[in-house]
Amino acid sequence: MQQVDTLTASYGDKWDGVTATTGDPTLETESAFVQMMSSNDLWPVVLGVSLIIWFILLFFVLRLERRLQQAEASMHAMGDSSTNSTNTSTPSDSPSS
Amino acid sequence: MTTVLVAGFAISIPRIPILEESARNLFLHVPMWFTMMTMFAVGFFFSVKFLMSENLRDDQKASAATMVGIVFGVCGLLTGSLWARFTWGAWWILSEPKMNLAAMSMLLFVAYFLLRTAFDDPKTRARISAIYNVFAVTSVPFLLYVIPRQLPSLHPGAEGNPAFSEITAPELRYIFYPAVIGFILVAMWLFTLTLRVRRVADALDVHSDNAHAHDE
Repeated sequence: MQQVDTLTASYGDKWDGVTATTGDPTLETESAFVQMMSSNDLWPVVLGVSLIIWFILLFFVLRLERRLQQAEASMHAMGDSSTNSTNTSTPSDSPSS
Repeated sequence: MTTVLVAGFAISIPRIPILEESARNLFLHVPMWFTMMTMFAVGFFFSVKFLMSENLRDDQKASAATMVGIVFGVCGLLTGSLWARFTWGAWWILSEPKMNLAAMSMLLFVAYFLLRTAFDDPKTRARISAIYNVFAVTSVPFLLYVIPRQLPSLHPGAEGNPAFSEITAPELRYIFYPAVIGFILVAMWLFTLTLRVRRVADALDVHSDNAHAHDE
């Protein structure tokens, strides 16, 4: 594939942080996490970004699920209470009588 | 979405010395902001609609869309922070206007939900929060687009920097645009789920209030 570098000329002097990551000797003094994330041409950063997105979306869906369970529980509770009140107020309507 | 994700990881991309393989975050981080803006626009539409119709269902839709927009905004902030650490060298760069203004726009919408808790009457709550939402959404393009472009920034498209359209290789666009559409569709699905759950919860609240009133 043709090598296209459209960023270095524009950002080379601005993205100073690049010296703290790939290919820099000071990387050896960084924590194991930073060293791991900076390895393999920054592939772990892509993985980390995708995991952040999916975990947040999963958390949001699970939160919706919990709210739905609460709604179902209160619906059942209302159903039970209305059945009880019907039974106590009109015992003659029950099949046993 | 599956195709986009697999292709996003599998295709060969142009080798860019500073970004290396993290350039693939273009398919993940940037669509978060597009999706957030779309959901805020949906919220804006329903807030305006509520102000015209006074129908509480429009208010429910506005708050559900804004909630989903915030979720994608948080995704954008956190993924941007991680990406920044390994390309710019810090988790958060205080001199970077786009980062700070994106966080500020998130706070505007957190305030929207705080404002909603301040009113007990549903109509008043809906009216005040709709007006606030119109203000908040109209400020977002200025916070995320207009102001950062006037200031020195590490992001593309800022003062003196080439814009996204000038630096993005064509092969990245074949994944990027479908990714944006895919994430917006995921957001619309989450929006409908949130709306349905909220409607059920609200209906149960009304039912419960009526039952209590009947008992008394």
